[in-house]
Amino acid sequence: MEVKRQCDQSAEMALRMSLALDGQLDAGERRALDAHLATCGTCQAEWEAMQAISVMLSRSAMIGPPLGFAVRVERRLGERARKRRQVFGSVAVLTSSLSLATLTVVAVAILIGAVLAWQWLGPLPAVQQGTEVASKLASGAGLLGKGATLFLGDLLLQYGPPLALALALGLVLLAGLWIWLVARRPGGSRSHNGYA
Amino acid sequence: MDQERAWIEQALQGDRKAFGQLVRAYERPVYNLTYRMLGDPAEAEDAAQETFLRAYAKLATYQPGRKFVNWVLSIASHHCIDRLRRRQRAPQLSLDGPSPPVWLASDAPQPDQVVSKKEQRERVRRVLDALPPDYRAAVVLRYWYDLSYREIAETMDTTESAIKSRLHRARQMMAESLQAA
Repeated sequence: MEVKRQCDQSAEMALRMSLALDGQLDAGERRALDAHLATCGTCQAEWEAMQAISVMLSRSAMIGPPLGFAVRVERRLGERARKRRQVFGSVAVLTSSLSLATLTVVAVAILIGAVLAWQWLGPLPAVQQGTEVASKLASGAGLLGKGATLFLGDLLLQYGPPLALALALGLVLLAGLWIWLVARRPGGSRSHNGYA
Repeated sequence: MDQERAWIEQALQGDRKAFGQLVRAYERPVYNLTYRMLGDPAEAEDAAQETFLRAYAKLATYQPGRKFVNWVLSIASHHCIDRLRRRQRAPQLSLDGPSPPVWLASDAPQPDQVVSKKEQRERVRRVLDALPPDYRAAVVLRYWYDLSYREIAETMDTTESAIKSRLHRARQMMAESLQAA
């Protein structure tokens, strides 16, 4: 069995061979490589193998996809957009519902506050001149207000300012999120990178 | 080029038909890359489709100073490298057993002989399959797209010296397998 003779310059020469295949060697470097190859069988064999591989890869033609590829990509794009719309739609409905619920809570709190204020300050002249039905409704609301008085009174006296602040902050955040979702909704105009 | 710019601009406004034109223009180079990287037509098609979906999703990050096709090829090569690494972590079992490691079987025709396209394709596939994913991408970009070291480095997000080294090592590995055959 023939034992392959090793070359102590093989690593450096292999790099030069690779550069030579890419046309990256200058004339002097190329001459040095050729001179070495003329005297070294090991490197010559490697050079021939590299050239054979290079020729084979260079001759290999580009392969295109099966017919209808672009249509399939467009279909997948459509499916992804539809899924995205569904997710965005669900989140938009959720945030708008939460916003509405928060607004309702605020409206009820204002109503109760007004009833309480009426009880403490006495009926306003305009209300005094109201119809009988209105005053009955007002007294009914007054009863409801009485029930909530103890609870809300304590709550507002103790945590009033931070509670109102948290409520307002939550409302602003929800509204902001909702506006962001509407602005970023799929199918809307996409962000621009300054491409002209 | 102007037409390409117009399609990109329209696609940025959400026009999927315009993006479809870009797909038609570049489906061949993208598919060729995914096929050369992955070696399987079905997987190559899926990876090429995924490449275009990703390109559409991040079209806003495309810098007009760069060649659009190189930008898409960059997405494709990264995606294929990821797929190959996942494949290496979870090797697929074949009922046929492992493929012969020799890319030029003893009874195979010699390079100077005429061989059928199918045989030629299979031979190229085996040569590339023996390379690590990073080396394979560098070889494919060099031979099929004739990209310079700088362009390959940009496409693969690395340095020119790393590309020189990868091509050199890849050629050595391929030459060794040829000599061993």
